[in-house]
Amino acid sequence: MSNRFLASFCAAAAATVAFAFIASAPAAAQTTGSTALFAKEGAKTWTPPRTPDGVPDLQGVYTNSTQVPLERPKNVGAKEFYTREEAEALMKKAAETHEVVAPGTYGDVHYSMAQFGLEKGQSAIAESLRTSLIIGATGRVPDLLPEARTRQAARAAANKGHEFDGPENRGLAERCIIWGAEGPPMLPIGYNSNLQIVQGKGYVAIMQEMIHDVRIIPTDGRTHVASSVHELLGDAVGHWEGDTLVVDTTNFTDRTAFRGSGEDLHVVERFTKVDPNTVRYQFTVEAPHTWAEPWSAEIPMTKIDGPIFEYACHEGNYGMPNNLSGARAEEKKLAEKK
Amino acid sequence: MTKLVFALAGACMFLATVPVWAHHSFAAEFDPQKPIKLTGTVTEMEWINPHSWIHIDVKGSDGKVTSWMVEGGSPNALLRRGFTKESLPAGAVIMIEGYQAKDGSNRANGRDITFADGRKLFLGSAGTGAPDEKTGEK
Repeated sequence: MSNRFLASFCAAAAATVAFAFIASAPAAAQTTGSTALFAKEGAKTWTPPRTPDGVPDLQGVYTNSTQVPLERPKNVGAKEFYTREEAEALMKKAAETHEVVAPGTYGDVHYSMAQFGLEKGQSAIAESLRTSLIIGATGRVPDLLPEARTRQAARAAANKGHEFDGPENRGLAERCIIWGAEGPPMLPIGYNSNLQIVQGKGYVAIMQEMIHDVRIIPTDGRTHVASSVHELLGDAVGHWEGDTLVVDTTNFTDRTAFRGSGEDLHVVERFTKVDPNTVRYQFTVEAPHTWAEPWSAEIPMTKIDGPIFEYACHEGNYGMPNNLSGARAEEKKLAEKK
Repeated sequence: MTKLVFALAGACMFLATVPVWAHHSFAAEFDPQKPIKLTGTVTEMEWINPHSWIHIDVKGSDGKVTSWMVEGGSPNALLRRGFTKESLPAGAVIMIEGYQAKDGSNRANGRDITFADGRKLFLGSAGTGAPDEKTGEK
């Protein structure tokens, strides 16, 4: 067998994809198109139409897939935006980078992503010239507080040696319960990175394709549920500030452990429709037992044709019994060697 | 507003993040020390998530037929491109290169799947056949 390139990163199928970049620099005062993404807060921007009950209409099917990493590469320093030329050069370099995967290694044990259209470059991408989704001087997640490190270590230690005892020892995603990128905050995921916003009187609903979960956000002014209640997606309440939907989420469990956080996580998201095809999605997260300070990010969302296809996960999850069966086979093999 | 659109032939995006398959422990399921090559006739394709599965009948050199199931990717992107559940019909002959299940059962991870004439399954290395996924410029 010859070496093969890791097809999942460099398929020629991306010939079908168009990457759109804005032409103007971020500080420009242009008010049309997705340059409005970078307009200063308070600057006059496009006004979205209203729903029948008079609130901004954010509805649609969107992708938040992006070429921008969550954290800024360290060598970029404090720069928050590339120029168009720099971004193009980076993309070109990425396209020319091939990872060699040796046969007979775990890296080679994977289906071809390109054959199924699951390479990032094979689908629409929301445009951004940002150097990182995280905004600010460092563009990186703050270091974990010592108590958070201790929590993480304890969790790992508790599961050590028991990783394949049963389904409960596997991660929530492998069990098809929830995907890590669902959040909130909602992050892009490698494929099927799509979501749909539907509004009704007093509610905004957001369905994330991965994995077919709906966040139902009341906007009727109610407060959060009692602090003794913990939910995998947290408890979200929303309100409108001008044309922006502000969603406040608390009451997380410690099981999703977003970037090392736990029940202390508090997420504030802001959704603003800035042009007919673009929603500016911003979030700020804080967790006093995890990070010394809050941090924020901005992720553009661009309209796609849709539809969202149902990602029914648990129903088709052959992987779970297969993984456990594989683990039992390995144990048997090891036992027979003794 | 000026919007520059670049169609980058052969481009791909490399994001230095956790591999997308980190959610799924392929390492637990399939054995990199058990490479397999199969030729078989499709009996059924399950267009399901989290992974599609192609069922094939493989005739051995002794004439005996065994059934295998082969793991593929999420079908959602294919469905958006216009493929349907009828796109891989029963009776199609396909060739699989991949790795066998650790527990020795007739299951494999379909790393490369081709038709008898060498064409890759579905999108292969370039968008073929079905309409492309579009951005919603409305």
